[in-house]
Amino acid sequence: MKDEELRRLTALCARCGTCRTVCTLYPERKAEIAVARGKVAVLDAALTGEDEDARGVQEALTDCLLCGRCERACPNQVLVEEILMKGRADMAEKVGVPAWKTILFQGVMRSPAVKGAARRAAAAGQRLLTPVPTESGLHYRFPAGFGTAGRTVPRLPAKGFLDTLGRGEAVSGEVMLFVGCVFDHVYPQVGRAAYETVKASGKPVAVFRDAPCCGLPAMVSGDRRSAMMCAGENLRRIREAAPRAVVFPCGSCLLMFRRNVFSLFPEGHPLREDASFVAERSVDYASFLLSEGVLDRLPDPPAGEKTGEIGYHDPCHLSGTLGRGPQAREVLSRTVGPAFAEMEGADLCCGYGGTFNAREYPTSARIGERKIALAARGGTKVISTACSGCVLQMRDMAARLDPSLRVVHIAELVFQAISGAGRSPGRR
Amino acid sequence: MDSNALSSLGNLFGERLRTSLETRIAYSFDATRKVHLPDAVVFPETAGEVRDAVLLANRHRFPIVPRGAGSGFSGGALPVRGGVVLSTERMDRILSIDTENLYAVVEPGVVTETLKEEARKRGLFYPPDPASLKFSTIGGNIAEGSGGMCAVKYGVTRDYVLGLDAVLGTGELVRTGVSTAKGVVGYDLTRMLVGSEGTLGIVTRATLRLVPYPEATVTLLAFFPGNRNAAAAVNGIVEARVTPSAMELMDRTAIDCVQAVTPVSLPEGTGSALLLEVDGPGDAVGREAGRVEEACRSRGALEVRRASSVSGREELWKLRRSISPGLLRIAPVKINEDIVVPRSRLADMLDFLSGLADRKNVRIINFGHAGDGNIHVNLMISGVDAAETARAEEAVEEIFRTTVEMGGTISGEHGVGISKAPFLEMEVGPLGVSVMKRLKGCFDPNGILNPGKIFLDEAAVRG
Repeated sequence: MKDEELRRLTALCARCGTCRTVCTLYPERKAEIAVARGKVAVLDAALTGEDEDARGVQEALTDCLLCGRCERACPNQVLVEEILMKGRADMAEKVGVPAWKTILFQGVMRSPAVKGAARRAAAAGQRLLTPVPTESGLHYRFPAGFGTAGRTVPRLPAKGFLDTLGRGEAVSGEVMLFVGCVFDHVYPQVGRAAYETVKASGKPVAVFRDAPCCGLPAMVSGDRRSAMMCAGENLRRIREAAPRAVVFPCGSCLLMFRRNVFSLFPEGHPLREDASFVAERSVDYASFLLSEGVLDRLPDPPAGEKTGEIGYHDPCHLSGTLGRGPQAREVLSRTVGPAFAEMEGADLCCGYGGTFNAREYPTSARIGERKIALAARGGTKVISTACSGCVLQMRDMAARLDPSLRVVHIAELVFQAISGAGRSPGRR
Repeated sequence: MDSNALSSLGNLFGERLRTSLETRIAYSFDATRKVHLPDAVVFPETAGEVRDAVLLANRHRFPIVPRGAGSGFSGGALPVRGGVVLSTERMDRILSIDTENLYAVVEPGVVTETLKEEARKRGLFYPPDPASLKFSTIGGNIAEGSGGMCAVKYGVTRDYVLGLDAVLGTGELVRTGVSTAKGVVGYDLTRMLVGSEGTLGIVTRATLRLVPYPEATVTLLAFFPGNRNAAAAVNGIVEARVTPSAMELMDRTAIDCVQAVTPVSLPEGTGSALLLEVDGPGDAVGREAGRVEEACRSRGALEVRRASSVSGREELWKLRRSISPGLLRIAPVKINEDIVVPRSRLADMLDFLSGLADRKNVRIINFGHAGDGNIHVNLMISGVDAAETARAEEAVEEIFRTTVEMGGTISGEHGVGISKAPFLEMEVGPLGVSVMKRLKGCFDPNGILNPGKIFLDEAAVRG
C-alpha cells in the first residue's frame, strides 16, 4: 500500500536528466547515482524487488543534501524530497538507522532537559580541542585523523538561550517564538536577538520553552517514528497554546511545520488537523517583522558598515521551497541600508544538509568552502542568513578558510540596529 | 562478464570502476525509460583509458556502451547486451576556443550548454540546440547526430563537427577531419562517425566549428485556427525570403497537453501555434520579424505576440518548452517518434496523423520543427493495455510507411538505436543495410561497440 503510493510518485520521473543541471552534489560526484533520476531509478528497483540490498539502496538515497533544487527544476514536478524521505524511511524499516542517530533523535532531541545536559557535557569536553578565534566567535578545531579533516565547531555556551530567560518571562502571548535547538543551545545570542526583535512588535511573545526538536533531522534520516514523536509533540503543544502566529528564526524548522508535517500526518491522521492549524500560523522571521512593522520604528539605516559589505545567503528551503528570499532581503535593506548588497552565489547551497555534513564531511566542506570563497572574492565581509544549519556550516567554513569573515543571522543585525548598540553581532 | 575481465578493468580504473548494483541501476536507463543492467560502469579520464578499455574488451569479448548524459530517445546508451557502460562524464574539459579560426576543441563529456556559454562569452556561437542541451553532452550529440530548433537556419550537430579523435572498435585511436574551414583529403571519416550511435567508435575529442554570435533576436508566437493555416504561414515565411532561426509548430493536441499542466493564455479558437525566431544584425532583425508577422497574419493568424527582451522571449517560449514535460501527465508511456517530411507535406502529414489517431483510437500528440518538416509524434498509451499497445505499434508502422512514401525519413534527430531498428530497412533498403553492416565490420570487427543497436540482426556484421 505504502509502496504503491511511492511508486505513483516515482512513476512521474521521465529520466530526462534535467536534475543533472541543478544538483548541488553532481559536480562533486560526477555520477548518475548522485542525482535525482539515478536515485529514483534505484528506489524503483528496490520497490520492484530487483534490488534487495536495502543497505545499498539506503546508502544511495542518503548521499544527498536534500537542497530541493532538482524538485524545483523538474519539468514533471516530481516530488523528489518526499520520495527520498519516504524511500529512506522504507529502507530504515528494513535495516534500521545507525544507532547513534536513534540515540540522538529519541534520547536527546526529544527532551529539552537532556538537550541541555548534552550541551553542558559537550561544552566541557570541547576544552580538549584546539581553539580557533574567528569573527563569529571562538571555534574549536578537531584534530586531524578524526575523520573530519579539520572540522571546527563553535564553543558551546554554559547556558542556552532559554536558560537565560526569567521564570516568568515570555510564558504566554499571542505570538509564539520557536527558537529551535541550535539557536537555543549553540548560538543563544541568535535566540536572544530573535526574541528581542520579535518582542519589538509590541505583541505579547511566548517563547516555546520545552520544545522538542522540530523532527526534521529524524525525518530526513528515514526515522519517521522519531520524527512523528518530535513533530507531533510540538504540534499538540502549539495547538494547546493556540497562538496567532508561530515565528521561526530557522528555515529548516519552518519547513518542517509548513510542509513536512503533511507527509508525516496524512489525511485522516488524528494530528492532521493540528498540523494544518500550526502550518497556517507558521511564519518565517523576516515576514513576521515586515508584517508587524517592526522595522518601521528604526531610525535611518545606521552608517558604520561599508557599502555592500553584508550579503545574504539563501537557505535552500527558506528561499527556494518556501520562497522567502525577498522578505529577508527587504529586512536587510531596511536594517543596514546600503551595507547590504547581493553577494556572489547567494543561492548556492552551503553544503550542510544536516546529517549529510555528519556523514560526508569532506564533500560537505568542499561545497561550503567554494560558496564562502566565491562570496569573499566578491567583496562580502559579513554573510547573513536565516537558517541554523547554514549558520553552523558557514561559520565552520569561515573558521577554516577566512576567520575574518563573519557569519550572522539576520536577527542579530536587526537586534543591533534596534538596540542601537555598537556591539558587533556574532561576536562575544 | 567473467571475473578476469572485471579484475583487469579494476587494474585499469581503480575506484573509477563501479560494480555495485545501485550504480549499475543508475546507468541502466536513458530517456526512453527502458532498463538494461550493465555488468559494470567505468569512468575514463583520458583517451588512453578509453583505448585500454576497448582493447581489454576485444581480449575478453565484452560489450562496451559509451554514454554521455543518458538523455537520448532511441536507446543509444542502453547496454542491451550487458557489458560495460563507459561514461564520459569525467572527460568534460573545454580544451581550447580559437577565436581567430573560430573553432573549439572539447572532450566528449562537455555539456552542450557549457560550450554554448563559453563560446558566447567570446562573442561566438555554437548553434546546435537539441532540447536536452542543458544536460546532454557533445559526445552524445555527435554520436546521435542531434538536431534542434535552430536547424532550419543553422543546421545540426553534424554541420559543426570539423574533426574527431575516436577510439575504434579495434582499440585504435584515429584522428579524423580538420581544424580548418575546408578539407577533402580522403574519405570523410568524421561524417562517418557522426550519428553512428557509438557503434563505430568512441569520440574522445572533438573540434567544433563556431560562428559569430547574432547581434539581436526577436521571438514571435502566432496562434492559428488550425494546422493548415500554420503550415501555410511556414511556406509564406519562406516565400518572403526570411530564414527564421526557429519555426516550432504545436498542434491542438500539444497545446492541450501544456494547458493541463502550466496554462498559457490563448486566443479563442486556437487550434495550432507557431513559435518563430529571427536573429541577425539589429536593424535587419526588426524588418524580418515584421515580414514574419505579416506572413502569419495573411494566412489567418488569430494573434501574433512578439518580444525581443530576454524575459519577454522566455515568456513566449514557455508554451513550446512545456510540452515534453507535460506529456507524462497525459499517459504513463509515450512512444516518441521524430519523423521528417518535406516541408510542403507538413499539413498532409498532420492531417494523416489526426485521422490515424481516430482510426487507431490512440492519443497522438504532435509538435516539432516545422521549418525542417520534423515532427515529434508522441503516441500516449497506458502501457498496461495490450490491445492499446498493439494498436499503437500498428500506428507507428503506418506512420513510418507514410513518411517514407512522402519522401521523408523516419528519424530526424533521435537516431535508430533499438527503437527504430526494425524499420531501418524500410527506409534505406536491403543494400543500404548491407553496406552499413560491411562498414561496421570494418570499424569494429569483433562487435564490441554498442551491440544490438541500429541493426536488428548483427550476424552479417562480422567478417
